Amino acid sequence: MKTYETTIIFDPGLEEARINEEVDRVSQGISQAAGEVIEVQRWGKRKLAYNIRKRRDGTYIHIKHKSPPELIGEMDRRFRLNESVLRHLTVLAVKESPRPAEEPVRAGEPAVAEAAHVASHEEKV
Amino acid sequence: MAREGESRSFRRKFCKLCFDKVDRIDYKDDRRLTRFITDRGKIVPRRISGTCARHQSQITEAVKRARILALLPFTSEQYR
Repeated sequence: MKTYETTIIFDPGLEEARINEEVDRVSQGISQAAGEVIEVQRWGKRKLAYNIRKRRDGTYIHIKHKSPPELIGEMDRRFRLNESVLRHLTVLAVKESPRPAEEPVRAGEPAVAEAAHVASHEEKV
Repeated sequence: MAREGESRSFRRKFCKLCFDKVDRIDYKDDRRLTRFITDRGKIVPRRISGTCARHQSQITEAVKRARILALLPFTSEQYR
């Protein structure tokens, strides 16, 4: 199971009820594949940087979810068949805070150097 | 003359993202990314922006993703 971020751009002409329906369908697909929806963000209607299928705006939905990798291909297929989806993108979510794991090592370095220094000093003595 | 002026105004470039202590640049953060694309929509090269290798590769990936989601243009309207 991996954590993914899926962003879907829906046709701006869709009513909110239809969009909710579509989002529910995606969430259902995830939970049926034993995945888990972590977060659903609604960015609302945004202006597109370029026209897609002659639309100037799109309704953005961003879903963070844990899913088996096999589902992603299936999800992609479904989005492509879905006429109301203008664009979609699924990427692996960035692992949360890889920094704290790095930092203790770096913080530990001076201590090691100091210990070595002390050791060499002791040897001299 | 002009060359003298240039050398006088020379300033060492630095990575603005390192300066801001950005850990990870996100493709959703289109406002930040617009600083690293030209008015034609091209990604600004490192030699111009002074970005460090690590952040430049993050920018590249983020800009490409943002383009797919129409957060950033592939090319600007007037040059199309």
